[in-house]
Amino acid sequence: MNWKIIKKHIMTGISFMVPVVVGAGLCQALGVILGGPNVKDAVGSFAYIIYKVGNLGMSTMIIPVICAAISYSIADKPGIAPGLVVGLVSAEIKAGFLGGLVGAFLVGYVVNAMKKYIHLPDSMKGLMPILIIPFFASLICGVLMFTVLGTPIAYFMEAMTQFLANLSTGSKFVYGFVMSAGSAFDFGGPVNKTVSLYTTAMLADGINGPKACHMVACMIPPMGVLIAWGLAKIFRKPIYTNDEKENLKACFPMGVCMITECVIPLAMNDLWRVVLSSVLGGSIAGGLCMVWGVESPVAHGGWFVIPTFTNPLGFVAALVIGSVIMGVALFVLKRRLTPSQEAYGIDYTQADDGEVAEVNITF
Amino acid sequence: MKIVGITACPTGIAHTYITKKKIIEAAKVCGYPCRIETQGSIGAEDELTAQEIAEADVVLLAVDVKITGEERFKGKPVVRCRTEDVMRNTEGFLKKIEATLKNHR
Repeated sequence: MNWKIIKKHIMTGISFMVPVVVGAGLCQALGVILGGPNVKDAVGSFAYIIYKVGNLGMSTMIIPVICAAISYSIADKPGIAPGLVVGLVSAEIKAGFLGGLVGAFLVGYVVNAMKKYIHLPDSMKGLMPILIIPFFASLICGVLMFTVLGTPIAYFMEAMTQFLANLSTGSKFVYGFVMSAGSAFDFGGPVNKTVSLYTTAMLADGINGPKACHMVACMIPPMGVLIAWGLAKIFRKPIYTNDEKENLKACFPMGVCMITECVIPLAMNDLWRVVLSSVLGGSIAGGLCMVWGVESPVAHGGWFVIPTFTNPLGFVAALVIGSVIMGVALFVLKRRLTPSQEAYGIDYTQADDGEVAEVNITF
Repeated sequence: MKIVGITACPTGIAHTYITKKKIIEAAKVCGYPCRIETQGSIGAEDELTAQEIAEADVVLLAVDVKITGEERFKGKPVVRCRTEDVMRNTEGFLKKIEATLKNHR
């Protein structure tokens, strides 16, 4: 087994899960906005119905979906049905997201093994996908999950939840600081995605604080580079090349939508200054979010989903503070450009000068 | 060298399309005719036709996640890589593919 392939399977799972989290999470949050914090007791009201639509998705669907999507990635279509079942088992025994992940690999490899080793006569081949695989894979993996695999994972999840719940204010700040530093580090790259994965996992288990830290740190970089641009205008210190100014135009709408990737072209030109200021602003904002008890019930959505947060004003304050810190830091750190540098970009490193990757062709 | 290909990234909203753009730009510079299908979170767009696939010399799959419809490329030379492998140096990567194809023949 190779780490790249494992990562691909997990990423497939995440890409299937995120729309579920966003859709159901937003419905649930909208229900709470319309019906108040006690909406779950207001059975029958319209707000309750909206809340329940989302709540059912959030509480039952997320783990089965990621589990099924991963086993689909490993074993193709026959992986889906047993994957859903094992995901539900994982949720039931409180092994949560992590259990779903482990269960998915179990299902995937069991199904693949069945495809490889069970040979039926041609007349009965049709039984494989409609009877043999769904039944035996669900049976074997479901029972294993219930009995052997799930228990230690459930224990670990419980310990994790307790750890987060018992953090003191100081360690909360450190926790948020570290989390957001990762998110702000590479603008949607592998480190950011790892934090995203972890915080989404927490979301699936009903712990919503870490996601807010991740989101604030994703939304800060586009705003930070814009604030630096504003400062550069005010203080007449040219810091961006003309090419970069073109890129900046896209940063506002993309930042509003939490697409932090729009900062990549700017970071490519001036890596350590942009990364350092981004991590500085992002991590402080993340720490503040944790201390102020900001929680995000949804996984993505930028400015549009802020009203669904716990303590939305705290989030906005953290976002503003973080963006200003990044903007000022970047403005101070960046060198003053001469007019010709501004026009042509003297240390503009072309994206196309990297090492050429390995080419593997299967004929 | 005629190229057809698919791009797909985990989130399916940014790198899928950036990679496509980079491949098309680099292919233009190198003079390779090129068609790229994207499989973002919205689903497949600019889908490749059977004829385009039949005429292509090579299939470039720059994908970080599982994609659909791989059976369409049965019997064709397939380059499989991550989106970042292409992005790092797109022109160099495409030229290396052509060189590898020539060596094979």
